[in-house]
Amino acid sequence: MVGAGLAGLTAATRLAEAGADVTVLEARGRVGGRTHGLEVAPGAWVDAGAAYLGERHTALLDLLARLGLKTVPTGMDGASRFALHGDAVEQRDGRFPPLAAVALGDLFDRLDALTRRVDPAAPWATEGAAALDTLTADAWARANLAHPDARTFFPLFLGEMMAAAPEDVSVLHMAFYLRSGGGLRYLNAFAGGAQESRVDGGAHQACELLAERLAGRVLLGRPVTSVHQDAHGVTVEGHFRADAVVVAVPPLLADAIDFRPGLPAPRSGRATAPGCAVKVHLVYPAPLWREQGLSGWSVSAQGPLTSTVDDSPAGGGAGVLTGFVTGADAHRFAALGESERRAAATAQAARLFPGLPEPIAVHVTDWVHERWSRGCYAALLGPGDWLATGPRLTERHHRVHWAGTETSTEFFGLMEGAIRSGHRAALSVLEGHDA
Amino acid sequence: MTIDELTLIYAEVLEAPGIAPDEDFFAAGGDSLLATRVLSAVYRAGGGELTFEDFVAHPTPAALSTLLIGRQASPLGVAP
Repeated sequence: MVGAGLAGLTAATRLAEAGADVTVLEARGRVGGRTHGLEVAPGAWVDAGAAYLGERHTALLDLLARLGLKTVPTGMDGASRFALHGDAVEQRDGRFPPLAAVALGDLFDRLDALTRRVDPAAPWATEGAAALDTLTADAWARANLAHPDARTFFPLFLGEMMAAAPEDVSVLHMAFYLRSGGGLRYLNAFAGGAQESRVDGGAHQACELLAERLAGRVLLGRPVTSVHQDAHGVTVEGHFRADAVVVAVPPLLADAIDFRPGLPAPRSGRATAPGCAVKVHLVYPAPLWREQGLSGWSVSAQGPLTSTVDDSPAGGGAGVLTGFVTGADAHRFAALGESERRAAATAQAARLFPGLPEPIAVHVTDWVHERWSRGCYAALLGPGDWLATGPRLTERHHRVHWAGTETSTEFFGLMEGAIRSGHRAALSVLEGHDA
Repeated sequence: MTIDELTLIYAEVLEAPGIAPDEDFFAAGGDSLLATRVLSAVYRAGGGELTFEDFVAHPTPAALSTLLIGRQASPLGVAP
């Protein structure tokens, strides 16, 4: 197994349960991949990476139940703050932004129509896929969105949904991603949607518990650079010998591995880019905004923090506002020095929430430049990429099988997709190599 | 717009087989994202441009119809 994220550890667990002799090689000094815990106060953990789930995420809920992990609801009670018109900050009850509702409805109507056109199991086989795969979401928006409020909102929505700038993704990928995650309404919603709850104590615990149960079979600090096959098996890093290998890393990292024989086509396309997300955790002594009737939710047209959400640990100990820096802002923000990042995030929080004191700590997690992830939430497929890579998404390369959230057409980019891909890859190994 | 026209729009947006005239959109499974799609459909059907706050205050087809008819009757285009 190459990679000890949710996909790799799910596949390794399933194979070990089937009696296979499994070794997991992980490049980092920790397991978890794009899930990662951050202890912001003694015993109080937040998710520096993947965090949210909803009731349709059945594979993840099954896994959490098996591991004895609980979920907590994402609190959204209270008023929201919006900075969508220059420097002015406006307050509204609930989450609805101070923008023309009809213009947003028109945007959602158009996105919904696109989403419904996509073949969810094989986006590359969608009728008219070639045309949808030629255009970027940015070009689509310029041609289809006339109202300034729709143009303001669209990049914010895309950033929040898929950590992409509109110029980074093809229309096909945008439509597929929204469809794969359950459709516009489900993917956007907190209550009754994909952000309904979080894992109590942090999502990273799932990987830690899986690794614990694979006692001794997960090797850390072991990046994989070569996978060489012969007639009888596979040699990984010139040392580990196996009947089969599952590569459970994002496509940009899989393409950095020296495969012999070589792959028939790269795992990523020419325009594939890292998901653009930087997560900022602003830590306060307690969720003080709640005392002011605020939910902690904010949306800003000007970055760096495009949105903020209350991610305070359920058990208390700290109040945490999580700021999301996505799309083009993520590149600009990630390029700043550490003190400049903190200053920019803190200044924006002070404008949005003038009643709050200075945070007692600021944590910045830059996934764009994370060497062993190359982006978060998931790889962004640009024009041409789905048609080039889609048909081989899950097709094994002799003894090499594929896992990772980018290989799941169901809940692509989410923890749920990673786990489903791990189950599929394990079955693929078991079918191909009867023990 | 008539109550019948609005119940059809509600049902389509909520993907529900039918909606009663006094059914609250949000209680029937609607949220703010879907609410905007009712408002864009009302606009396309010639019912005028409503705000999200208008809709929250008039969440049933019957109440929304009364609001829209009142606006059409008012020379200033605002509800009496």
